[in-house]
Order: sequence, then C-alpha cells, then structure tokens
Amino acid sequence: MLLYAVVAADANAPETRGLNGHRLETIRSAFAAVIVEECSEGLGATGDESRAFAEIICNLAATTSMLPIRFPTMLPTRSAVLAQLQANEAAWRRRLTELEGFSEVVIRAQEAETDDEFGTAPASSGTTYLLNRAAVIHRREASVADISELVSTWAREIKVLRPQQGVRLACLVADADIPQLRDAVTTWQQARSGRQAVVSGPWPVFSFVGDEEAVSS
Amino acid sequence: MSDAPEKWSDTQVALVDLIDRVIGGGVVITGEVVLGVAGVDLVYLGLQLVLAPAHEVEQSVALGGRSA
Repeated sequence: MLLYAVVAADANAPETRGLNGHRLETIRSAFAAVIVEECSEGLGATGDESRAFAEIICNLAATTSMLPIRFPTMLPTRSAVLAQLQANEAAWRRRLTELEGFSEVVIRAQEAETDDEFGTAPASSGTTYLLNRAAVIHRREASVADISELVSTWAREIKVLRPQQGVRLACLVADADIPQLRDAVTTWQQARSGRQAVVSGPWPVFSFVGDEEAVSS
Repeated sequence: MSDAPEKWSDTQVALVDLIDRVIGGGVVITGEVVLGVAGVDLVYLGLQLVLAPAHEVEQSVALGGRSA
C-alpha cells in the first residue's frame, strides 16, 4: 500500500486514481484515517512520480485538513496500515486539529553578495577559504534572522530548510494571512538592490506535521 | 564574475520547493520487523520508513539530529 496522507476519521478519499492507477481508499480508525492506494510493486520515486504524488496531495489538501505522508512510504498490507494508524492516531488527530486552516509557504531569499555556496572568489589559502565560508554562513544567519522577524506577525511556526541558492524558510501561516506575508516579503525584497526573495505555496503542511507523529508502534 | 545572483523563476522555484518538501517533509512512519526461521524469532529490527535526499541524511547524521 502506498500511503498518501493522514486525515480526519470522517474524511473520504477523493474520487481519483493514484500513481499506480488504482482508486484511492480510506483506511479508518476511531480518530483518524489514512488515504492509501493499492500498490503491489515498488515505486521508482522518480521526479515524475514525486510530482504526480505532490499534485494528488495538493488536491487533497484543498478539500480537507490533512497531514501529508513522506513520499514514498509503503506498507505491505491494510492491517499494517491500520496498526500504524491505531498506534499514532491520538497524536495525528491532535496535530490535524492544530493545523486546520493553516498552510505552509516557503520563502527563498538571496542577497546579491551571497555566493551560491562558499564564495566564488578563489581561495588563496585554507584560512581564506574558511574565512569566506564563515562570512557566507554569517550572512545566511543574518538573512534567516531578518526574515524570521519580518514574518513573525503571520507565521505561527518557522523551520529553516537546507540552503539552496540562498536561505529557505518554511512558514506555517493561516490561509487568510498568506497575502499579507507575500506583500511583506515583496516589500522587504524591494528595500535592497540585488536582493531576491520568492514565496512559494501555499503547500500542504509538509514541514509541520510535528515530531510526535513518529511515535513507534 | 557578477555579484548579481541568477534571476529566479517563480514557477521553477515553486516546483523545486514542492518536490523537495514531498520527499523531505511529511509524516514519518515507524515500524518493526522480526526476522525468523521456521517459526523461531531470531532478529528484531526497529525501522523508520523514510526516503530522504542523501545530502539531508548525511547532514543530519553529521549534526547528530534528524532531518527537517
């Protein structure tokens, strides 16, 4: 079984087919349910499959509060899915309630003088290399602090993601507040020449499913 | 070399962020497996069924923590 998302116990799987061409199904317990698809063969987890999975998750998130499950998570049988659900449903249900009406947005920002990784200027020595690297890391930390303060009005939780061409922050934001956050980031970007900032989303709450969901069975 | 970073495309950034979160975020299921022969339990394995980008796993191991 390929697992898609944790939803409320009374939610239904959408009338759609999954990656393997089978209809999505709902496996229920008392307080939560898991959207799954019959999937007897392994998945390659290619870019196309990841993208298709993401589309299904985004469509699902548009209709109900949900916790996306990391792709590709597979369990061998329905009873194995049910066992996981029953072992974790209290924590999952609690987090579902907390996250209702919230989405994730990702802010990616880069300053003009911030190099892709550790400086583009050739390092004449090991010391120079380390100093360049430290400077880049300090600039990134300053950007993270700056953006965190900027969005603190709207972001209930913030997680710093691995840098990719600049810093990236995932923010948990109430759906109604997303336009204000976007406007604030745009204004922040325009305040300094050469600064770039992009807000992507809203996405399902991939980065905020909580730590308690990984409770062992 | 120019100081100006490469101009980002909103569409490309959105796609990269989405795929990154699909395989790097989300609920992590844990489980256990007992390997046995002829009905005798021999080996117990505690599992976290996770697929994560290799660089995140390496970074997480280096830091002694978990990936985002």
